[in-house]
Amino acid sequence: MSKELLFISQHWNIEFNHAAGETASVFFRAIKERKEILGRRCPACKRVLLPPRSFCERCFVDTLEWVKVGKEGTIEAFTIVYEQFRGLPKPPYAIAYVLLDGASTAMVNFLKKVDLNNLQEALERIKIGARVKVVFKRKRRGRITDFWYELLHT
Amino acid sequence: MRVAILGVGQTSYEREKGISLDELVFEATKNALEDSGLNLQEIESVVTAGSDGLDGRAISNMTVSGSCGAYLKDEVKVSDGGIYGLVLAYLRVASGLFGNSLVVSWTKSSEVSPDTVGNLSFDPLYLREAGINPITYSAIQVSLYKHITGARDEDAAKVVVKNRGNALKNPLSHLKRKPSVKEIKSSRFVSYPLREIHIPPESDGACALVISSERWLKTRKKTGQKYAWIRGIGWSLEGYYRDEKKELVKLSSLRKAAKTAYKMAGIKNPAKEIDTAEVSDITAYHEIMIYEALGFCGDSEGIELVRKGVTEIDGELPVNPSGGILSSNPIFASSLVRVAEAALQVMGKAGERQVKGVNTALAQGFTWSGTQGSCVVILDNRI
Amino acid sequence: MIQAGIIGIGQTRFVTRRDDVNLGELAREATIIALEDAGIEFRDIEAVVFSLALDALEGMENAERWCVEAVGGCKKPCIRVHMGGATGGSALHTGLFHILSGLFNCVLVVGAEKMGETQDAQSILNLIFDPVYEREVAINAINMCSFQAIRHMRKYGTTEYHMALVAVRSYKNALKNPYAHIKKEITVEDVLNSRVICYPIKLYDCCPRSTGACAVLVASSRFIKKLGKKRIAWISGIGSCTNSYFMGDRMDNSGLNDHADAEGLLIAAKKAYKMAGISDPKKEIDVAEIYAPFTSTELAAVEALGFCEKGESGICNEKGIFDMDGKLPVNPSGGVLTSNPISVTALVRVAEAALQVMGKAGERQVKGVKNAVATGEGGSLQFYTVTVLSKGI
Repeated sequence: MSKELLFISQHWNIEFNHAAGETASVFFRAIKERKEILGRRCPACKRVLLPPRSFCERCFVDTLEWVKVGKEGTIEAFTIVYEQFRGLPKPPYAIAYVLLDGASTAMVNFLKKVDLNNLQEALERIKIGARVKVVFKRKRRGRITDFWYELLHT
Repeated sequence: MRVAILGVGQTSYEREKGISLDELVFEATKNALEDSGLNLQEIESVVTAGSDGLDGRAISNMTVSGSCGAYLKDEVKVSDGGIYGLVLAYLRVASGLFGNSLVVSWTKSSEVSPDTVGNLSFDPLYLREAGINPITYSAIQVSLYKHITGARDEDAAKVVVKNRGNALKNPLSHLKRKPSVKEIKSSRFVSYPLREIHIPPESDGACALVISSERWLKTRKKTGQKYAWIRGIGWSLEGYYRDEKKELVKLSSLRKAAKTAYKMAGIKNPAKEIDTAEVSDITAYHEIMIYEALGFCGDSEGIELVRKGVTEIDGELPVNPSGGILSSNPIFASSLVRVAEAALQVMGKAGERQVKGVNTALAQGFTWSGTQGSCVVILDNRI
Repeated sequence: MIQAGIIGIGQTRFVTRRDDVNLGELAREATIIALEDAGIEFRDIEAVVFSLALDALEGMENAERWCVEAVGGCKKPCIRVHMGGATGGSALHTGLFHILSGLFNCVLVVGAEKMGETQDAQSILNLIFDPVYEREVAINAINMCSFQAIRHMRKYGTTEYHMALVAVRSYKNALKNPYAHIKKEITVEDVLNSRVICYPIKLYDCCPRSTGACAVLVASSRFIKKLGKKRIAWISGIGSCTNSYFMGDRMDNSGLNDHADAEGLLIAAKKAYKMAGISDPKKEIDVAEIYAPFTSTELAAVEALGFCEKGESGICNEKGIFDMDGKLPVNPSGGVLTSNPISVTALVRVAEAALQVMGKAGERQVKGVKNAVATGEGGSLQFYTVTVLSKGI
């Protein structure tokens, strides 16, 4: 008998239609319609949650108050990706967590308009603590990628 | 160590709830805490039970850890039906290392095709490409069961009428219309011999429980609340390929789980000692098969219970007074809902669907997609 | 009072692929080794806890059910836990709860990993992130750790050189571990010059993707006494903690629960130490097996475990404190950096720590181990498990 080992090729194809819910819907509509970034304040610990959530996991109460946060903020963490991962974007690209002015928590998005081809040169500019601004796409669909961050004072 | 269910929290069950997954879970958790009289600070353990595949998140309890009250707490997820969450929570509390625990389970069926995901729970070598999914698998079981026992289309219809009728008195129910036997018998075949109306709907919903040890309860101020004590618990997993004769419909794992739970609870004659049961009617015929595996009657006698109305809400042994899974099916949470509903019966808090004089109740659940594993819980209100 | 101990351990050699066995057959290999190690048989197993992580990585939903016959779990109580990378730690804890509940005397904790069968690991790991707010920003299991690393660098002055030291030590240790996947000697220069994957994480800062299985048998003191077994790793302390889903919640500059630090691990460790009666981990812990898929993860972890002060892990690595001949050897097995079969990685940490306590770790044995600690980490650096194993109890 042949000792050849066989392989069964399979591909998962599952479609999901995730409900964003009311809170995230308001957030995305504000971005899409008015270029505004909205956080939600917890009535107990007073943190302004960004991205907004309808409840505070720490205090376990509903958040009710919408707070318009600034369109500028500070980089809190970043990475520059040079590896091609299957199914993910073509490198290089930078991703940053930014604490927008007025928010208590940092929100992640792409950091664009920086030359990433030379890592050391890019690191001269991309730093924790660096100031960034929110830049909106012209055609917005109500997704997180409707905006990205760009460095201020370039 | 004695362990009790202190509180139950459920959302309503609907085809599509326009809230996000974490919001859905938050609602059930909040309800359970409120019902138990505990605040989140007092909670020592959280057990979650969900399906990554159905949730569309590769580690889905990451998403809901905040909504189930697990922030900076000891939390663990069971990748199986909600009743398995109760099993693990029970073990954690019974170990003496935790005074109490939340148990939370959920599914938002509206975000995905459950049958597609269910197909992926069958092995890639032999079964998956043969078109096996939770429904076709059930259909094959049912056709063998009918062949062996002579169960008829009318019997299945009677179960549907019973459960859907009971659901009318459950304010949380997804399906709130009692179909006629004629309507059921003309319902289209989804996978022969299963008609569309023999199988459950797909619902959005979440369910949560708060349990604690007797020892921990004694450290709290007495409240006069009624508790549902876990008297017996058993779970078992049978072989993957049930290819031996009749093994496909024997529900061996359920028989084993029931035996364990009965022994622990000291139950010798389940038909007499159990006042009501909430079982996993994943098809109308499965409810009848479950009667036999639980020892409510002898083998092949399940249809007699149906024909005589024994399991009707006013019968000797009412089964699924809540309306069962045939009325509300938040897939992974469905088996935890069985426990929740049995607990409500034992606590006397089941409202309009309350069965009179319930002291002992049974809850039963399967592992999702193909009845390979099963779990049985016996609850009572004796102090 | 019931106590629980580890009586048998089974591991397969970790490799890139195993095309000769399916998942269950792989798990069976480890199970048989563990049974032989304990000197018991399949029928002695009363319940099974499956340690199986992401369904999408196995290509099958609830694949544990497919494995039930292979590991001797048929018609027995079986349950599966899944906490991403922390799965093995939670599975071991679940085994412990089985014993301490008084319902069981001998429990098999087992899992297997065949992630070598998909080339899409990082795009699958992207699916752990929130589909509404975060997923489209291309976060995966590598760059989520980059965020932690860069914050640690900023907060404490940690450098890529410090990270490289962790890699060099782990690779060196792995040479003496017959089960390790990656076996080669590397230098600090090799690490620093390796290609950047997600800055500051470079190729040699990363774990491999491994295939393999691990089985651990947990038994009650009564069972152990009857068996007459002497070399036992007693489970003396456990702790577990879940942090926030959103990593950005740990970047509020309040100084509390910062993403730079493994705060969840710190909380879990405190609980485990308290239970084990350990008041000074620096002195009382003799060896540690830490779940660190990236070099930077280990730096934050040793601080959270109380092996050094916050921010001092880099310097401690320079001093060689965590080397095999240092004061507190970390990852004598070579750790996750040299073998990462994700479903059982955290269980392997427990197994390796147990071998150290039992004095059965062969060439990688640390001398005179009384207490060992094993950790697990899963999610967005979100789930942490800590297990303390001891020679006596």
